[in-house]
Amino acid sequence: MRDILRKELKLSASPLAYFFILFGLMFFLPGYPVLCGAFFVTLGLYQSFQYAREANDIEFSALLPVAKQDVVKGKFMFVCLIEGCSLLLMLVAVLLRMTLLADAPVYRTNALMNANLFALAGALLIFGLFNLIFLGGFFKTAYNMGRPFIVFIIVVFLLIFALEALHHIPGLEAVNAFGFDRFGLQLALLLIGLAAFLVLTLLSYRAACRRFEKIDL
Amino acid sequence: MAIVEVSGLRKEYPSFTLRDVSFALERGRITGFIGRNGAGKTTTIKSMLNLVHPDGGEISFFGAPLAGREGEVKQRVGYSTGTVSWYPRKKIKDIVSIVRQFYDSWDEEAYRRYLDLFDLDESKTPRELSAGMKVKFNLLLALSHGAEILILDEPTSGLDPFSRDELLAVFTELKREGVAVFFSTHVTSDLEKCADDIVYISHGQIRAALPKADFTARYAQAGESLEDTILRLERGVQNA
Repeated sequence: MRDILRKELKLSASPLAYFFILFGLMFFLPGYPVLCGAFFVTLGLYQSFQYAREANDIEFSALLPVAKQDVVKGKFMFVCLIEGCSLLLMLVAVLLRMTLLADAPVYRTNALMNANLFALAGALLIFGLFNLIFLGGFFKTAYNMGRPFIVFIIVVFLLIFALEALHHIPGLEAVNAFGFDRFGLQLALLLIGLAAFLVLTLLSYRAACRRFEKIDL
Repeated sequence: MAIVEVSGLRKEYPSFTLRDVSFALERGRITGFIGRNGAGKTTTIKSMLNLVHPDGGEISFFGAPLAGREGEVKQRVGYSTGTVSWYPRKKIKDIVSIVRQFYDSWDEEAYRRYLDLFDLDESKTPRELSAGMKVKFNLLLALSHGAEILILDEPTSGLDPFSRDELLAVFTELKREGVAVFFSTHVTSDLEKCADDIVYISHGQIRAALPKADFTARYAQAGESLEDTILRLERGVQNA
């Protein structure tokens, strides 16, 4: 398994996929819809898949002495690794905004969503949807990626819009808590986001393995 | 004893059907797989490697079905596909450094020997290689892990006559070591020079699969070369 991940990292990946991890730092931006940072990370992954397609990566991988489902596993491991790295950057931003920067006026007067644990749950949900819609869709053909990415874009921007609007709805202000306010709720929301990410990714992985086994390269 | 058996292989596309393809490969023999463009050679080869999902038939390697043993089987099989360019912007040495990790039996000495024989520069990228040199790079990967079977899709395509001769000599050397070589071609002189067996495919069907001497005895007319015989057979299929 390490070999197929190493191949993904050294041969298949576009440098943009690594560079776009830095968009996780958008969680520091005030007055900006922070979840767009998660979307930009997936944009880097999309570019990476295009780069790999031009290099005949899928056929090359399928010829290596591994089972076909290991090719799928390699792609999922790579994507989850990039997502995990950007989530770490987002977590750093969230922790700083919860502690040292908790009372910074620039964040307190922010009309948009606060980068708290709930926002991190939102990023996890976005990544889960990317894995479900884009990755799962890509493995229907192991070639066409435009359509699944467009579907993902539509879904993700509706989701970002909904999550941004949530704390303006009376009674739901708590999701935009600052510092350690409503910490129990924030933590619970984060765990729900993590569970959603895991479930969506696992469902997509199983479907992708099934689909990839049947297609002709 | 056959180490690869293809039996009743069938694959249907909207405009082409591969029908009841059956043949066997043996250790220490070179088998030429001949047919014109679009006859079904690549589909057959891709099916043998599970790149194409057949609609019917069985493929077995080393006495057991391929299904469920892909990783193990591919450790023992070398595959090369013509002029396809893998990772065109990566250096050859970087591609090889990843590929070698996958093979338990990677043979560094053989790799260096073929690198030298094919006159390949490790610091070049595939996009800097000519079509013939791309073929050689793909062959290099197939030949460097002690494969017991080589499955090569048009390995002589794009090669100059000298390189072609060198490659056919490599086949003969590997045959002596007990390796089964299976290569597709549409150049009959490749068969004349080194093949022990011929598998002839036309319009998705195997028309002949037998030792070269038997093929000549059965199908050749007086004074005909192998090329003349195959051309005549092909015309016959088209007129049928």
